[in-house]
Amino acid sequence: MWLNVAMRLSLILASIGLFVMPGFLISASFPFWQEQGLKPLVGAEWFPYEGLFGMLPALVGTLWSVGLALVIAVPMAVAAAIMTSEMAGKKQRNLIRFGMELLSGIPSVVYGLIGLWLLLPWLQSSFNLLSGHSLLAAGILLSLMVLPTIMVMAEDAISGVALEQREAAANLGLDWSDRLFLVLLPQAWPGIRAGILLASGRALGETIAVMLVVGSMDRIPDPLYNLLEPAQTLTSRIGREIGEAAFGSIHFSALIACGFILAIISVILSLVAHTNQRVRV
Amino acid sequence: MYRYLFISLFAITVASPVWAITIHSAGSTTVLPVVSAAAQAYHASHPNVTITVSGGGSGVGIASIVQGTAALGMASREIDEKEKAQLGDGTQVVPIAMDAVAVAVSKAVSLGGVKQLSVEQIADIYRGKINNWKEVGGPDSRILVIDKEASRGTRHVFAEAVLGNAHARAAGASIISGSNNEEQAIISRSNSAIGMLSNAWLNDEVRGIAVVVRGHGVLPSIEHVRDGSYPISRGLHVILAKDAGPEVRDFVAFLLSETGQKIVEKSGYLPVR
Repeated sequence: MWLNVAMRLSLILASIGLFVMPGFLISASFPFWQEQGLKPLVGAEWFPYEGLFGMLPALVGTLWSVGLALVIAVPMAVAAAIMTSEMAGKKQRNLIRFGMELLSGIPSVVYGLIGLWLLLPWLQSSFNLLSGHSLLAAGILLSLMVLPTIMVMAEDAISGVALEQREAAANLGLDWSDRLFLVLLPQAWPGIRAGILLASGRALGETIAVMLVVGSMDRIPDPLYNLLEPAQTLTSRIGREIGEAAFGSIHFSALIACGFILAIISVILSLVAHTNQRVRV
Repeated sequence: MYRYLFISLFAITVASPVWAITIHSAGSTTVLPVVSAAAQAYHASHPNVTITVSGGGSGVGIASIVQGTAALGMASREIDEKEKAQLGDGTQVVPIAMDAVAVAVSKAVSLGGVKQLSVEQIADIYRGKINNWKEVGGPDSRILVIDKEASRGTRHVFAEAVLGNAHARAAGASIISGSNNEEQAIISRSNSAIGMLSNAWLNDEVRGIAVVVRGHGVLPSIEHVRDGSYPISRGLHVILAKDAGPEVRDFVAFLLSETGQKIVEKSGYLPVR
């Protein structure tokens, strides 16, 4: 009885949160959209004092850094998951697990400082760059931060593939790589995909670590695949400017609008993931 | 028995605010070392008053007074008309020190021969017209031009003096930094950087260069702020909300007292008294 009431209560609280968050984002960013329309989405110049709020450079930077992080982290994480669930002994497995838990427990500001003191000088000297602040630095740092999420989810998914499936595959005489690519990975894919989704959410929202290494320059990479120059992301913009923007000003509203766009991107991501699921099953 | 306990607990809860007072201050990271050192000294003589200090930049200092999130704001620049209107009547802006904004370069640039620059040369570097140190007599390396967040007081003062407008664009900028700390770290790690930094934050790795005024190079220093010869100087201020309590006002009086001004001098700034 009490349990039931408590469950209902927390469900209600959770759903209130579900409505309050978008409600706040929409209402606080409304003055901005009203004044500027959708023009800022394709504008390249962000100068709040001149009334210019072009978001395109930050948008491009955000997509690049998240994309790059996933490109680096997904193969590594899945490989590590296959290794721990299928090949490693108990000792190795525990060691890798421990390492992953350690990685995920490090606060993001520490990642940022590590990036500042180790990653940037290394990038600077290896690519002969001006400072090392770049989308590449942000992508590498983010990939480290999301690695544990994907790896743990993938490992659970792979170990969860039913014994019958494995036996059937073995009985068919499939060799190891066929078993992996035809049975294990396809069967585990929903779990791996969920891990990737969670990871991209974290990479999208990560602020402080990215802010310290990305350079915060409002420029679209030129050419578009140039990842070695300083750039900007939506989160780094919000982090750098929210303190000075007076509550209720158009500048504040514009920063909330940046947050709103981040929220929309993650909603789109999960919708895409869910549609895929329905097609597959 | 329990009644007494309750009464005494109640008394403690009601009375404690009288005894333990916390003053929040926020804003300029240039003013921060002074307020933070003064806060420690003040706490030693007034153990019931604790002063917390956080950074963010002058813009944050002003915004925190407007929004009422801090009792004491810190700003390393003048307050403009629009901000005065936001702050409203009764808000006090109190100058506590003077400071020079140094044009800071990496050690390698200074050793490479760049000892002084004219305001036009600095402006050309920030506008992107000069990209290499050899164009101004330095080593052959691309210039890492560090701009600051728009909210930073140092940025306002520097851009006003060099580019002619506090909010002027700097097309030549390579990266954006925030606090004095971050700026100092980037310049010292690089060997081709130029940035803007409070005079008090210079060191061997991060060197201030002379600014040419009427044919003479003037180094950023307390003396040159005092005699008015250095072109990029500014007042450092604290901002008192109009409903600031007597403790906050007393702390500001402490900042202006002899002991407070000694702390200003020790932090590397010019006292106002």
